[in-house]
Amino acid sequence: MSLDRPELAVRTGLGRAMEDSWQSLGSPGTRWTGSERIRIVAEARAARLATSPGQEDDVMARAAWKVAASPASIRRHWVDALARDGLDPGRYVELVGIVSRAVAIDTVLEALGLEIEPLPQPVAGDPSEDVDQRAGKVKAWVPMVGGASITQALSMVPAENAKLEALHGALYLSFEEMADPKPGKELTRPQMELVAARTSAYNECFY
Amino acid sequence: MLAHTGLLSWSAQQTDTPVDVRALTDPDVDPLVPGGRELLSFVDATLTSGDQVASRALDATLGAPAVVMAATVIGNFQMMNRVADATGMPVGTGSRRRNAELIEALGLDRYDHLEDTG
Repeated sequence: MSLDRPELAVRTGLGRAMEDSWQSLGSPGTRWTGSERIRIVAEARAARLATSPGQEDDVMARAAWKVAASPASIRRHWVDALARDGLDPGRYVELVGIVSRAVAIDTVLEALGLEIEPLPQPVAGDPSEDVDQRAGKVKAWVPMVGGASITQALSMVPAENAKLEALHGALYLSFEEMADPKPGKELTRPQMELVAARTSAYNECFY
Repeated sequence: MLAHTGLLSWSAQQTDTPVDVRALTDPDVDPLVPGGRELLSFVDATLTSGDQVASRALDATLGAPAVVMAATVIGNFQMMNRVADATGMPVGTGSRRRNAELIEALGLDRYDHLEDTG
C-alpha cells in the first residue's frame, strides 16, 4: 500500500508528501535506529487504539504512549523523569516528532474513512547523532535553538524538525503561508482555523 | 487552542467572514463561518466515533476537496498539539494579556497545563 492514493489527489503533492513522511519513520534518525523508530510508531498506534496497557518499565514505550494518547497530561516533572530513566532530551525530542507525525497521518486516513498504512519497513543504518549543539535552555521543557517557539520546538534534532515542517506545509500551510489570510486552499482560512481550533479544544491544548 | 482561535478571529476579520468563536466550546452556538457547523461536526466525528455521516454532510455542503482539506488540517493539529504539549511550549505573558477576554470567554484556562514552565 502507499499513501499516494487517489482519494488524496485533490491536492497536488499531498499523497506524495504523506508517503515520504511515513516512509522516513522507518529510516535511521538522529538518536534512534530505523527499527527503534518503527517500534515507537507501533507503540503510538497501540496507545491510541488502547489495544494493550502501556509498558511502564520501558521508558521509550512509556513516552510514546503518553505523547500519543494523553499529551495534555504531560508535565515538566514527567519529562525530567524520562531523562533520569535514560531518555535524554535528544531522544525524547526525536520521539515526540515521530509520534506526532504518525498520529497526524493516521488521523488523516481515519477522517477520510481510509485504511491506515502498514508500518514502514526498517532501513538499516546507524543514527546520525546530528544534534544541534546550539540548542539550549529556553522557557520550555526541552532545549531549543533560538528561543522557545513552536517552529523551533524540535530544533535540537534538525532532521526531525525539517520533517515536521514539511508535513505541516503539506497538511495545512507552510510557516510562510500562515501570514496569508487568503492562501487559496480548498477551505477558506477562517474555515481552516475553525477546524484547527476545534481540534486543539478536543486535545485540550492551551497553546 | 489560543493561537488558532486568534488566527480564526484575525482571518475572519481580514476576509469579511462572520464568526462567533464561542462555537468552539459551546455546541449551541452557530460558528457563522460558511459550512461551520458541518466542519465542527466533522472534527468531532473524526476524533471520537469515526463515523462517516459527518463527512458526507460536509461533502454535500462544501464538496469533496474541502473534506480532504479539513481532514489534513485535523491531522496537522493532532501533530502540532502533541509537539506543543510534549515540549512545554509556553504562551507568553503578552499573548495572555492581549487575549485575556478570549481566554475568559472560552474558559481556556482550564487547558493550561504549563504552570510549571520556566
